[in-house]
Amino acid sequence: MNKAALRQSFNTGIIFGIVHIFCVLVAFNAMLGVLLAEIVHVTSSVTAPVVGSLIVYGILLGIWAGITSTRRQREASNGQRLLASLVTGASFGFLAALLVGIFQAMISLNINPRDYLTNLSFPFMRACLYSLPAFLGITANFFTFLVSSFLGGLMVVGWNLSAVASVRHHIVSAPKTWMANIRTGSAKKQRTWKYVFYALLFVVVAILPIEWGSYWNYVIGTVGLYVIMGLGLNIIVGLSGQLVLGYIAFFAIGAYTVALLNAPVPHNLAVGFWPSLILAVILAGLSGLLLGLPLMRLRGDYLAIVTLGFGEIIRILLNSDVLTSFSGGPRGVQGIEGPTLFGKPFNDVEYMYLIILAVLLGIYVYGRLQHSRTGRAWLAIREDETVARATGVNTVNYKLLALVIGAGFAGLAGGISAAMNQFIGPSDQSLMASINVLCEIIVGGMGNIPGTLLGAFALKGLPELLREVENYRMLAFGALLVAMMIIRPEGLIPSQRHTLELPEETTEPSSPENTNASDSNGSTEKPHD
Amino acid sequence: MVGEKHHSPTTFLVRKAVIATMTADIPLGLKKKGLQLLQLVRPLLGGIVGLFLVYRLYVVLIVEHPYGPDTWTRLLIAGIILGGVYSLIAIGYTLVYGILFMINFAHGDVMMIGAFSGYFIFEAFNALKVGLDGKSNFLNSQPIISIIIAFIVGMTVAALTGYFLEKIAYRPLRKAPRLVPLISAIGASIFLENAVELLFSPQLRNYTNPDILRRGAGWTLVINHSNVIIPYTGVFSFVLSAVLLVILYTIVRKTRLGRAMRAVALDKKTAALMGVDVDQTISQTFILSGALAGAAGVMYGIHNGLVYYYTGFIPGIKAFTAAVLGGIGNIPGAMLGGMFLGVIESMGPAALGIDFQLKDVLAFVILILVLIFKPSGLLGESLAEEKV
Repeated sequence: MNKAALRQSFNTGIIFGIVHIFCVLVAFNAMLGVLLAEIVHVTSSVTAPVVGSLIVYGILLGIWAGITSTRRQREASNGQRLLASLVTGASFGFLAALLVGIFQAMISLNINPRDYLTNLSFPFMRACLYSLPAFLGITANFFTFLVSSFLGGLMVVGWNLSAVASVRHHIVSAPKTWMANIRTGSAKKQRTWKYVFYALLFVVVAILPIEWGSYWNYVIGTVGLYVIMGLGLNIIVGLSGQLVLGYIAFFAIGAYTVALLNAPVPHNLAVGFWPSLILAVILAGLSGLLLGLPLMRLRGDYLAIVTLGFGEIIRILLNSDVLTSFSGGPRGVQGIEGPTLFGKPFNDVEYMYLIILAVLLGIYVYGRLQHSRTGRAWLAIREDETVARATGVNTVNYKLLALVIGAGFAGLAGGISAAMNQFIGPSDQSLMASINVLCEIIVGGMGNIPGTLLGAFALKGLPELLREVENYRMLAFGALLVAMMIIRPEGLIPSQRHTLELPEETTEPSSPENTNASDSNGSTEKPHD
Repeated sequence: MVGEKHHSPTTFLVRKAVIATMTADIPLGLKKKGLQLLQLVRPLLGGIVGLFLVYRLYVVLIVEHPYGPDTWTRLLIAGIILGGVYSLIAIGYTLVYGILFMINFAHGDVMMIGAFSGYFIFEAFNALKVGLDGKSNFLNSQPIISIIIAFIVGMTVAALTGYFLEKIAYRPLRKAPRLVPLISAIGASIFLENAVELLFSPQLRNYTNPDILRRGAGWTLVINHSNVIIPYTGVFSFVLSAVLLVILYTIVRKTRLGRAMRAVALDKKTAALMGVDVDQTISQTFILSGALAGAAGVMYGIHNGLVYYYTGFIPGIKAFTAAVLGGIGNIPGAMLGGMFLGVIESMGPAALGIDFQLKDVLAFVILILVLIFKPSGLLGESLAEEKV
């Protein structure tokens, strides 16, 4: 084994060690215990984690380190690859042991770092030492990572042995070819699958709202609203290629329109839900037009920052005392009258159906637009604005149209949301909400419908399922966004437009650099998400 | 294609109409008179804004006359101090934008990390007992050394953050379309904020200043029979930012590194052909801008007193505004823009007679107006044309 390979393995261990130290300092390792506790019914918390869960966390991270390290030595023999995993495990384990050594020192000297590093309570630090006496705990930490890293190395080496390879072929490749067959199969077959899928979806959608109960209706309803917003933002960002960061402002405009026209407190207008919802969509679209008109000649990232500013202006205005008499100020608007059915107000099931209808409408409009002449014009603008203009696309009009339609979608979602929650306040309109919607379409895959659905479930639905990881959600988002941009900028479900239009080789001229870069940098990012 | 199917006549007509509207040459304008709606928007908006400004200034300054010269001086001082901090952060945006044409969205968070580093140094020195009786602490017996070390550590940590930020989040994306690094920067910003929140808890932290830089203390100026305090912390941060700006300007204009940076900003390929290590130069740019942001962070902490994980965000956005205001890519422009924005933000609400809660709105409105009316900023952009 040469020196360079040794150093590389050593560095991999150091990187994983740093990631591990970070995870421990933010108590992410204890998080796993909390999740496991859900399954195996032990009580574990972030402040006093169960030792077993910490060991499981250590083993998982160690195996990952071993796999990463072994995979980097592609040309080496099996023995050398195993040695690489051992070296990685040793440097990783050394850092981990150093950390718990410091913990032990702090426990012995009775220094409480909790005022500054908020997670490091004494029970937590003792748990990190596996509740063992000083020397044993440190050694145990070292060997956890050494052994599990070696285990990871063994897994990689074993994975490539011929006996396993044939099994692997069946497990990994069979579903892939099956999917590929469906995708490339005859049009009739494709259509059949499509109809089966739609029929299933329809049944689910028709029955579930009644069966769920109000909590899940609320959660899925929120997801549905995010789908509508995601579709709208997808028209702006995914199709026409304009980055808008203050998208939630249009949501706010729609929501406040419905709220102010139907709530008793600031104005007592009682216009009724349906006309005000239509007005909400129109007003949101109009604000998109007004914002877009003077900005159409700006560069893309300037547009991003201006819309961010616009979103903040709306939020600060709503939050300030200046507009209290008009829009309720920081306390928001309460008691918004929703739509009625046969004289009685909508319950959660009916709201769910309303949202499903709105989502279907959104998907229909989006689908029609995407493949229409307008959609193709947007794509042309996204790819190269100058060329698009040269080929006769009126870029200003099309960009404005995208903004208006996208803003209208947000207005629709806002209007429904105001009626469903019977409350709207300025705190819902933060910049983070805008970024959430943006994350949704990026994670799912820009410019396509399934991606938006997936993104909405991943970003709004999953956190509801995993309430315990709430604190780590935004941390994971941040890391995930960076990792996504490096590894898979086209999203989980990439849009098929590229592959339709261009032969494989010319789609991404810079792809070789990108893949190389992701190999060397991906490992430092992945463990956070 | 879905769009090529047969349609009912109505649908067809509607489609025709929509297509005609969207592809017509000047559908938004009146072609006969040679006017376009788009061309009308800017003068119209400019007129409205100008009239509003003149009207409010007239009402507040001449009719209502609410504040005496003492208040105006106070506001001016606060604005200049704030402007110094903005300038330092804005330089970081300008340097990076000049070279990579990307908005380093996480720059404000780099500043926040610098502020936290300074906070921890001050806390540590405050806890460190020195002297024979063990009663006085290091912070107050050696205040100058403490402050210098706090700044050095703050700048170093922030510079390192900037360096790794570029290496991990931006470098792999150098050839990607422009939105991709921007989104990556947003991700990095979210990550840094939440990492700090989870590490150090979301509570607000009170900067422990050495006694010679107590907050609220300062020289007193008597104007109009009332005392106007010029705070020590403010003078200190203003002087320090001026010194740092001069140093930076010298680096960019006079040194080898500065020449390399300007060459890379102008044209990466040619610079590489001339023997400039592009990757290294970009790294060094991030280190420089990170160090400035770190200094700004420690200053911000010393002067304002409170830091928490979200501290960097709003100053970051505003500093970007300042960079755009001065003309992005232009270093003197960023300094001027920062000063200008600080003063406007501090005096604007009073001069226009609007609520002080709305000072952030004022900053964003200025940003939007600058981008609409003079996108190249006050002193003009200095960017390579073809890249824009």
